[in-house]
Amino acid sequence: MSDSDRLWEVFARRKRADAFEHIGCVEAPNSDLGRVYAWQTYDEAKWFEMIIAPREAFHCVNRAEQPFTLHPSAEALS
Amino acid sequence: MARFTDDELMRKVQEGFIVESEADMTESYKKALITQLTVQGDTELMSAPAYFMAAKDAPSTNTMVSATAIIQDEMGHANIAYRLLEDLGVSRDELLYERPPEKFKNPYGFDQPLENWAELVTANGLYDRAGITLLGDVHRHTSYGPLKRGLVKVGMEENFHLRHGEVWMRRLCEASGEAREMVQKAVDWMFPMGVEWFGMPDEKKHHNAQLDFRLKGMTNDQLRQTWLKAVVPLCDELGIDVPAHVNPDTEEVELEFEFPVQYDPEAKRWLLDEPITWDQVWERWRNRGPMNEQFVDWMRTSRQAVQGVLEA
Repeated sequence: MSDSDRLWEVFARRKRADAFEHIGCVEAPNSDLGRVYAWQTYDEAKWFEMIIAPREAFHCVNRAEQPFTLHPSAEALS
Repeated sequence: MARFTDDELMRKVQEGFIVESEADMTESYKKALITQLTVQGDTELMSAPAYFMAAKDAPSTNTMVSATAIIQDEMGHANIAYRLLEDLGVSRDELLYERPPEKFKNPYGFDQPLENWAELVTANGLYDRAGITLLGDVHRHTSYGPLKRGLVKVGMEENFHLRHGEVWMRRLCEASGEAREMVQKAVDWMFPMGVEWFGMPDEKKHHNAQLDFRLKGMTNDQLRQTWLKAVVPLCDELGIDVPAHVNPDTEEVELEFEFPVQYDPEAKRWLLDEPITWDQVWERWRNRGPMNEQFVDWMRTSRQAVQGVLEA
């Protein structure tokens, strides 16, 4: 990934009433491009809803390790 | 790292333990996983220029759309493997843009030119079947959680590619005449390529970290046999000749040539009566196929062009 890119975790659910599922992640310099890349990359289903959030926004509650590996650039941001 | 020793981790993963982060890994586990993911990413990525080359021959707008959708899927699958590699500290930029072309770990089959629509759909039928066989096994058995989850999308989409390939192979075969001949010609060179895809036979490969660490579940020969059991009956049904048959007693597929054999890349022709050693196969693979450099170059040019504009 280039220096200006951040990591965006992608969550989606197929239909109303479904729980969100973590389906992957994309790299993008901002959330607008992140949304485009996520929608284009994870097009394996007709999602009812898809959301993204920056990786560094996730904080583990009960374990010492983070749920997603923190990229050096993300660590610098937090 | 070093929460476990290699032996402890091997025992744990055989009992169903799922590795979720580097903290659970040993150095050997990480090394085997990086190799596996690099092969996976490179194979998906290099299928794209190979398919693109033949997609230009699509017979209609609709078929062009399906072919390019397949190419997009393959790029997405490559992205999944490379992303997982980045989380293990491997630089994707270095892998994609700085590695010499001959260091890409895609199979020899994707160093070859795909030159017409029949070759594209036969590649979907035979090579995507190889992909499903290999990655389906990884999906079922891998001890690495992030990869198991990432492969859900890959499996769904590869099945669509396979169906595209098989439906079109059937359609061309039913058209008879020249269309059928083109499929036969494509199968003649892609079938032995597919047999070779699964690598060294088990009897020559004694130690396998990927099996020990449960990064896959089946051996090379088991995977090859699974592929053969799908491809040979398909070709039989389509009336396409392949140098292999199902043994009715054992229900196993038996090859009708002494594998591995000599290949002439310029003529795209296998010399089935000229057996060679595995050392010779490795040498051919190391020397790479005719399209290796060009395919890597195609993948790189657009970024160079866009970057030039952005920095101007």
